[in-house]
Amino acid sequence: MFSALDVSTSALVAQRIRLNTISGNIANMSSIQNENGEAKPYQARYPIFQTDENMVGPEGMAGVKVASVETEDKEPNYRYQPEHPLAVKEGKWKGYVAYPSINLNEQFVDALESTRSYEANLGVMEISKNMGRQSLSILA
Amino acid sequence: MTIPTSVSSMFSQRLDMPLTAKLLEKTAAPGQVASGQAATGQVQSHDFVSMLGQGVSEVNSLQQQSTQSVNEMLTGGDVQPAEVFASVQKADMAFRMLLQVRNKLMQAYEEVNAIRI
Repeated sequence: MFSALDVSTSALVAQRIRLNTISGNIANMSSIQNENGEAKPYQARYPIFQTDENMVGPEGMAGVKVASVETEDKEPNYRYQPEHPLAVKEGKWKGYVAYPSINLNEQFVDALESTRSYEANLGVMEISKNMGRQSLSILA
Repeated sequence: MTIPTSVSSMFSQRLDMPLTAKLLEKTAAPGQVASGQAATGQVQSHDFVSMLGQGVSEVNSLQQQSTQSVNEMLTGGDVQPAEVFASVQKADMAFRMLLQVRNKLMQAYEEVNAIRI
């Protein structure tokens, strides 16, 4: 009876993680140094959703989990800023600064989809809750 | 946590067939009927009581889980709010179900009790 609630909860958790990565992507859209202080622009991260093998029931329902969070490998967005301390010193991109190439529209559409999915799962939870409550009225 | 325990004790007392037999003896004068009831009752009562006890302990563990996750969330632990609320809701639903079963049983008991012999 509660497995439906558990499955919906797993989806809520997964979508929440997705929203967290999206907020990280948007927050870092101008980060030109990585977490180790190297002059590498931020690369967008995306969670990979996977059917949860621990939550596959005989009734055909299946939970979802985040298998991993993958980092994108995209060509940075180069801007010519020769005075910049982090400007590329030599080679083809000499005098350019590498900025992350994060597409805000993409991120916002992802965030919207994630939010809608969250709402949908909340709706399913509401329905299973009501079903449970209404079946109790058989006994009452 | 105290409520399910008291409910469980209520159930086990209520469904303890010797006790029911005693009650029956009080209302019914012929001892034969009462002892017959007790004999047939005892065979089935064991299953029923254990089933009910299992249900109660399940509800109890769900409630303990939800209390634990709520505590964890309120003390700044790293838990997802959705999980906490879902566990609270599950505990609530389980308890409601147990309560309905209990109400039904009490109703049945009252009706049996009202029989005049």
